[in-house]
Amino acid sequence: MTKTLFEIVSRVMNIPMEKISDISGPNSIPDWDSFNMFVLLDEIEKEFDVKFSLEETLEIKTVGDFRKKLEGKNK
Amino acid sequence: MPSEEKLSSYLNKSKLISNSNYAKKIRIAILGGFTLNGLEETMRVKCDEKKIQCTTYVSGYNQYNQEIIDEKSQLYKFSPDITFLIIDCRNVFGELFLNPYSLSAEERKQFVQTKSDEIINLAKTLVKKSNSKLIISNFSIPSYSPIGINETREEFGLHDMVRSLNQNIKIGLRLEPEIFIYDLNSFVSKFGEHNVFNYKQFFYGDIRISLDYIPYLAQELMGYVTAVLGLIKKCIVLDLDNTLWGGIIGEDGFEGIKLSDDPIGRAYAEFQNNLLALNQRGILLAINSKNNFDEAIQVIKEHPNMILKEDNFACVRINWNDKVANMKEISDELNIGLDSMVFVDDDPVNIEYVRSNLPEVMSIQMPADNCHNNASNLKSMTAIFDMLKLTDEDKARNTMYLEQRKRAEFKIQVGNLENFLKQMNISVNIKNADDFTIPRISQLTLKTNQFNLTTRRYQEEDIRKFSQDSKKIVECAQIKDKFGDNGITAAYIVNKDNEQQWTIDTFLLSCRVIGRGVEDGILSHIIEKARKDGISQVRGEYIKTEKNQPAENLFAGFGFKKEGDFWIFDTNNQFKKPKHLVIS
Repeated sequence: MTKTLFEIVSRVMNIPMEKISDISGPNSIPDWDSFNMFVLLDEIEKEFDVKFSLEETLEIKTVGDFRKKLEGKNK
Repeated sequence: MPSEEKLSSYLNKSKLISNSNYAKKIRIAILGGFTLNGLEETMRVKCDEKKIQCTTYVSGYNQYNQEIIDEKSQLYKFSPDITFLIIDCRNVFGELFLNPYSLSAEERKQFVQTKSDEIINLAKTLVKKSNSKLIISNFSIPSYSPIGINETREEFGLHDMVRSLNQNIKIGLRLEPEIFIYDLNSFVSKFGEHNVFNYKQFFYGDIRISLDYIPYLAQELMGYVTAVLGLIKKCIVLDLDNTLWGGIIGEDGFEGIKLSDDPIGRAYAEFQNNLLALNQRGILLAINSKNNFDEAIQVIKEHPNMILKEDNFACVRINWNDKVANMKEISDELNIGLDSMVFVDDDPVNIEYVRSNLPEVMSIQMPADNCHNNASNLKSMTAIFDMLKLTDEDKARNTMYLEQRKRAEFKIQVGNLENFLKQMNISVNIKNADDFTIPRISQLTLKTNQFNLTTRRYQEEDIRKFSQDSKKIVECAQIKDKFGDNGITAAYIVNKDNEQQWTIDTFLLSCRVIGRGVEDGILSHIIEKARKDGISQVRGEYIKTEKNQPAENLFAGFGFKKEGDFWIFDTNNQFKKPKHLVIS
């Protein structure tokens, strides 16, 4: 799952896979603005067939946050 | 409806656009009443794909009023060729959108009148202060009403307000030469309000056209870009069999083609009706079909269910010539550039052949197995014929060309067929007659009319008997190319007359694989086999029918010599084995 997640982040944020980790976010990824964050959210929802509520969306600040939320949904 | 790529894929591609120096250039400004991120990137990618150099300007979020009113704004400094102004009801109505019934019906009418005038003035101001064409979106009529089922009973209700706004803007701007209204309302109803408008995206980032639909919107707006640049399509060149009607006239006959009141026939009738509508607005129609002229033209002239008549076609090429050569002739005869032509055919091979030889022609493949798509494909295609003006001259154009057609005669040119065939990766797999192939061989002898040298019809039990006869060769060929497997589409029967001579009793090719050199490949296979057996001559006959003209020149072309009723080939002679085929 982590690999797929990182692949999506890499594609949407236009950044090499090896530069992505759990702490990656707006501070470390130049393209991570609020719009691209939303594109990312949209792609992740489709890929993993999940929906994040608006509240959950607002809690997500980093790649790690996405990973944790996804793990929570897959239980 | 052709499906679109994801927005993220356009976003990535937009980063890769290099500063190419294309001849066609356009400056596009986007003014939005809400977040339209991604639209600009997608349009740049779509322009780049069409070799249009595109420079863009996107106004600040919801700044369209100021940008248009202020003569010194960034918008005017940018000096666009074309400006898209995309706003929605929430921009215009504000809080009243959710609570329209706080006003009386009279007040609502007054409100709409005021807002319509504002928008009309804004639009006129923009084109007055710039050299830009303006494309302004109209308003999507919401399915929502605060009074629910009573909406339709209310005097000048919310829905009427939006309808009226649309109507006022249309009347106010209709005759402005530089202003065009983009029917966003139709866009939303085509895809569905629940898809296009996504609350989460709306609340999160004031996105009112959801990310999935931005590429579709960009695609529609591209119609204006190409129209402004004059990159318009003027002519549709159509195949006949399985394109204008279901089935194959040469095989199924006048009575057998599907054009009547049955499910398949209806799909083709609808397609023809769409084409007729295009024709009436000035798009030329032409025919480019491999068929016997008399047979095919009879359908066009006499079939009771043909919607398109002979006079709807400005140029007709029904023959056995190369389709690329035909396209060039049509282009010459109509004096229309190949880049203004669209070619429609059900056969992927023809599409690829035209595409590779004439890349400037837009080639569209109609799915033969799912003919109802033809009509819906065409409807989404109509945008490529969009011109910004529709004049009487356009409407009369067809008559003009029709007259020209009746005068003109043209010589034949041949496209580069040889190169094309090399790229086709055709393989011919020869198979013996066995339990699997015998029914198909029989069926081919019964059904094949066009490329059939002798048109001898054999039932399954005949073929089975022949296959057990040591004095006969009964074989067939499975033909594949880079587009896929055509299945068993060729068959032949050879009689071993004696120690010196073989006679080709039957030799046929399904019309699906005509014109690719397969026939020469199989003939050389037979000759080589004869050589191996020490046979000195192979002979065959061509028995002329009304339909088998395509096979007429097979023997002469290969190097057979005519002697009486037979064509004879001396196996010691050299022959040209087609190099583009793999025969196994």
